[in-house]
Amino acid sequence: MIRRVLAQSTGRLAVGILSVIVFLAIFGSVIAPYSPLTNSATQLAHISGSHWLGTDYLGRDTLSRILAGSRASVIGAIEVAVIALFVGAIPGVLSVYLGRVFEWVTLRLVDTLISLPFLLVAVAVTALLGNGITQALLVVGVLLAPSFYRVSRAAALSVAHSQYVEAAQISGASTAWIVRRHVWSKVLPPISISMAYTVGAGFVVVSSLSFLGIGVQPPAPTWGGMLSSDLNYLSYQPWAPVAPALLIIATVWACNLLADAIRDVSGEAGRAAANMRPKWRRKLALSQGGG
Amino acid sequence: MAFAAGRKTESRVRETESRAAAPPVASALLSVRDVHIRDRATDREIVHGISFELAPGRVVGIVGESGSGKTLTCRAVLGILPDQLVVSGGSIRLAGRDLAELSGKQWTELRGSTISAVFQDPASYLNPSIQVGPQIAEVIRVKKKVRRREARDRALELLRSVQLRQPESVYGQYTYELSGGMLQRVLIAAAIAADPKVLIADEATTSLDVTVQAEILDLLADLRERTGLAQVIVAHDLAVVAQVCDEVLVMREGDVVEHGTTAEVLYRPQHEYTQLLIAEHEQYGLERFLDIPREERA
Amino acid sequence: MSARSVLEVEDLEVHYGLGRRRRRVLDGVSLSVSNGEAVGLIGETGSGKSTLARAVVGLVPFSRGRIVIDGQDVSQAKARQWRDLRRRGVVQYVFQDPLRSLDPDLTVGQSIVEPLLIQGISGAEADARARAFLGRVRLDPELLGRLPGELSGGQRQRVSVARALVTEPKLIMLDEPVSALDSSNRVQVLEILKGLREAGVGLVFISHDLGSVAGLTDRIAVLYQGELVEVGPTRSIINEPRHVYTRLLIDSAPTLRSAAAKRSEREQLRALLHT
Repeated sequence: MIRRVLAQSTGRLAVGILSVIVFLAIFGSVIAPYSPLTNSATQLAHISGSHWLGTDYLGRDTLSRILAGSRASVIGAIEVAVIALFVGAIPGVLSVYLGRVFEWVTLRLVDTLISLPFLLVAVAVTALLGNGITQALLVVGVLLAPSFYRVSRAAALSVAHSQYVEAAQISGASTAWIVRRHVWSKVLPPISISMAYTVGAGFVVVSSLSFLGIGVQPPAPTWGGMLSSDLNYLSYQPWAPVAPALLIIATVWACNLLADAIRDVSGEAGRAAANMRPKWRRKLALSQGGG
Repeated sequence: MAFAAGRKTESRVRETESRAAAPPVASALLSVRDVHIRDRATDREIVHGISFELAPGRVVGIVGESGSGKTLTCRAVLGILPDQLVVSGGSIRLAGRDLAELSGKQWTELRGSTISAVFQDPASYLNPSIQVGPQIAEVIRVKKKVRRREARDRALELLRSVQLRQPESVYGQYTYELSGGMLQRVLIAAAIAADPKVLIADEATTSLDVTVQAEILDLLADLRERTGLAQVIVAHDLAVVAQVCDEVLVMREGDVVEHGTTAEVLYRPQHEYTQLLIAEHEQYGLERFLDIPREERA
Repeated sequence: MSARSVLEVEDLEVHYGLGRRRRRVLDGVSLSVSNGEAVGLIGETGSGKSTLARAVVGLVPFSRGRIVIDGQDVSQAKARQWRDLRRRGVVQYVFQDPLRSLDPDLTVGQSIVEPLLIQGISGAEADARARAFLGRVRLDPELLGRLPGELSGGQRQRVSVARALVTEPKLIMLDEPVSALDSSNRVQVLEILKGLREAGVGLVFISHDLGSVAGLTDRIAVLYQGELVEVGPTRSIINEPRHVYTRLLIDSAPTLRSAAAKRSEREQLRALLHT
């Protein structure tokens, strides 16, 4: 499937942008020209040769802060998505197999979660449990779980009672075989799509939280936090918020683009498009694994 | 000449099942003359000229596979061709009026009260969240302009006339509670609610069990006898059509390859496609086993 | 000479639903199929015919009775025994709608070899074996790399039959094998099934339409509301039906020439049936 996604131009673009972001997250602090925490006397400087994006109100190099700040955002977004995945997908698949009661209970829980506005809840939780980024991310992860629940439940439902699974059972297939050969390919695409969307949402959430001052404490740099402080000095540096804002936008957009690309190559539309697969997929060997 | 058909014949003729070919009737209810249907999107002609006449009390059958054009012909007669398809040649006259000249309002008048139809998947033509009875009553109320109570009584009457065993019970049921055969009867009831002259049954029995199919076909034959309802029966099985029709057209890829009385088509088929359909029945159908008396063979 | 039976169903009873909604779908059904025999199981929707077929392959549990497949009693079989029996490849099933019974994400080639792969046969060997059956179902090897959605209805059905053949089963259950097909495709599939019969495979055709399978069967079993009301050689069932429902079935089958005349007879039989 990865190959098919990359075959699309949207897929390549999305993966390209995201790779850059991830690279920055990993190596950001290393390639930054200055330490993000060093105050200096040149406050609110303009773009110059020594400060490519100028400095902030404490004289810290903006570029370095952005590079270093990427880590918190990326890690935060991935954390949120992973929590949502586990809290959502597992009950989602299980709801198909564990009986009516479990199904009913989880469905109602999900309905409740959907109705909660996550930023408000995140703020409320930090008020209760203290201002730690981990608590906030945990809560947001749980609040974003419903989409994984629904998606994995739908995929599991469609496969569980299908005739091709029955046909495999009639031929003596074990549950493991059925999962590997039939279920996996149906569940993976929708979950990947959800994952991509949720990582994007996670970015927005993390940025919003840090904008509000929740989570990572200053002076540690975060994109949201930078946006927040930039707004205070807008009259001095009107262009300042552009950098972190653009990054946030670009990252979220890339996540959504990736989700779209995955969606385009899977499901009904993807199978129709598979007519135009490159020749190497049309080999006549009968027994290669699906995918 | 065709305007003679403007005078509606009020008498319900009780007609025995005559298998003689009908001569071109001046008072034909439905007159389809050399109709061509074209797809504007691909600029291809899909139906290459179909003609038949339907007189009161007669039944015409159209047989063909999917893609033969039989369903499009029905839709043209009902005025419900999809946007990109048009009647590009020939004429269709219903009760003396040229359908090409009708406005939307005039069409609405005609549908239900002059011409009506039932299709293949009965459940999809009914609202699943309302009981079926009121849906028929609604048709009656609108078309016949009667009050609610009377509409309900008439609806029950109709349900009885389509041979539903417990009309009161069916009246109050939802689509999911009714079997395919019962749903199709309900739809036939709705279709004849406004006393149309012509009923088009487009693959109306295709998705039904064979015993239920026979019930519906018998019902249509019964309606014809009791009320003189003229019908166009469309199917992909020649035997279905042969059972109830006086006249048969066989279509293939937009062409009418055979047209004659039922007897002519069954016993003296001209086109090889018709012969193929007959041979298939004889080889794989019940025909092979039934000891058919010699007299039936012409 | 006694032909050993490949299938024996004795007094089978199947229920669906729980508590108040529990209803009996099959009631005391007994049927046997000998080696190489073709039996038509005829009944309308709701008669229990599909349930019977599914019970035979272990997809539906039954509350009473016995099922013996190729000498092995599976009445008390648990999942493990079923799996072992199935892996011997003795019984296979052709579903009514090939579009739903073929995994849309696997090529038809992959679907056809699946039963062999499940048995543990290597990929290359499974390939070779499967290809040997393509001729029998008149399937062009070129189509193997396609997805089910890319094939026509007739082609898909033939793929479905091929999949049922690769383990060389002794018994194949076919659920309405031709009812979803157009005339031309229908004839082709019927020809293929005729060939199977000549090859000595036991066949059970499940259908609501006697006419569509009469030409292929040795015996007919008629199922009505969960009960087997009549069983017998095809020719005598058709010409001398005894039970009211069987008679109605015969009279209802759309035959070219005699169907219209039988109308009053049908009405009488229906009246009888509903008293």
